[in-house]
Amino acid sequence: MSASSPATQQHQPPEETDRQTTGRQASRWIWTAFALCALATVALFFIPAFVIRPFRHQAPRALWLAMALRQRAPLGTLIAGLACFLFAFALWRTVGLWRKALVTLTLLVVIFSIVMARLNYFEWMFHPIASAQFVAQAESKLDPKEMIMAVRFGTDARAYPISQMAYHHVLNDVVGDVPIAVTY
Amino acid sequence: MNGRVLHFYLAGINNQNFLMRDKETGSWWQQITGKAVYGPLQGAALELVLSDELTFGQWRTESPFGQVLAPVAKYTKEYDPNWEPDIAKLPVVISFPGTALKSRDVVIGLTIDGAARAYPWETFAKQSPVLDRVNGTPLLLVLGPDGKSFRVFLSRIDGHDAEFFLQSNAKAEAQTGKSSDVRKDWMLLDATTHSQWNFQGCATSGPAQGKCLARIPALKDYWFDWRNYHHQTTIYKR
Repeated sequence: MSASSPATQQHQPPEETDRQTTGRQASRWIWTAFALCALATVALFFIPAFVIRPFRHQAPRALWLAMALRQRAPLGTLIAGLACFLFAFALWRTVGLWRKALVTLTLLVVIFSIVMARLNYFEWMFHPIASAQFVAQAESKLDPKEMIMAVRFGTDARAYPISQMAYHHVLNDVVGDVPIAVTY
Repeated sequence: MNGRVLHFYLAGINNQNFLMRDKETGSWWQQITGKAVYGPLQGAALELVLSDELTFGQWRTESPFGQVLAPVAKYTKEYDPNWEPDIAKLPVVISFPGTALKSRDVVIGLTIDGAARAYPWETFAKQSPVLDRVNGTPLLLVLGPDGKSFRVFLSRIDGHDAEFFLQSNAKAEAQTGKSSDVRKDWMLLDATTHSQWNFQGCATSGPAQGKCLARIPALKDYWFDWRNYHHQTTIYKR
């Protein structure tokens, strides 16, 4: 028999009804807190990911928000995510199977967001050069017509083929003791 | 930055100009401007290093002991030998209707004391060497002996404004479009001293021999990108 049956409620002592009301309010509060934490965790990852998409216009305010969230995402998703787990633990014994499934699904999205907030998925598309190697120009197999970017510091001259830089985009280098960032 | 070495990595994109972050502070930097747009170093700007965009053939004649970035073996399949036409096909997300140029038109962009000017590549390549004045500064823009490399110089010799023109035989061949290889007889002449100048901007013979023109930083860019970061830019027309 359901605990919320009117017939049963009529025979319950007042303190029992109060306890149930308080329990329901606590449960609602925990659900709200759980939802907010989950929302915060997911937003910290998904809003920047949505705004900073290739081949999409980035409006100045949206970009500012995306950078602000992404900057805080590693710590923010961890704190909000941990809070999510605490609230989920508190809810777990009080909810039925369907709500357990909902909680589990939410936690999976939360975990995904926590992980993704720590990963630079742009470097999955365009891998960085971990350790740049150089060859003497006489040994290079580049076609003479290939375009390169070039810098010179004193007698130290370096060429960066654009076909390679158009993929890697960024290279940290030191030429003639000068640290430079080569970008394309 | 202020004596601190920063290391950068790709972090995102802002209207098709990429964003990078530095590992040391986490600040966000815009590629084209070198300025920190967010984070602890917001407002700071990296010092622009003078660089060239040349053909490998041109560069190796100038840098016999130079070093070339080696391809990373596991990514060689990712390198696109047709990067230029392939990038040109990509859609754009910002446009500036009402201007004489199309979004993907290639320009040479430069800034002199805050005044920006874009030189449409096609116009420049046809007219090279281009003599112009931006904010009162005389400029010389030159297409290289290979017909692909370019450089920009301050068009002054010993503090006096100077005019340059391409030695006639080099110009004739450049206009026929047969200059894809590096020409050894390519020379500029200045109208004042009649000295010969090479593509590095140095006089190799004549009264000015041994002197070199000052370089002006310039960027080869798509019009939409240049215009997006230089709202007041003018466009070279002649």
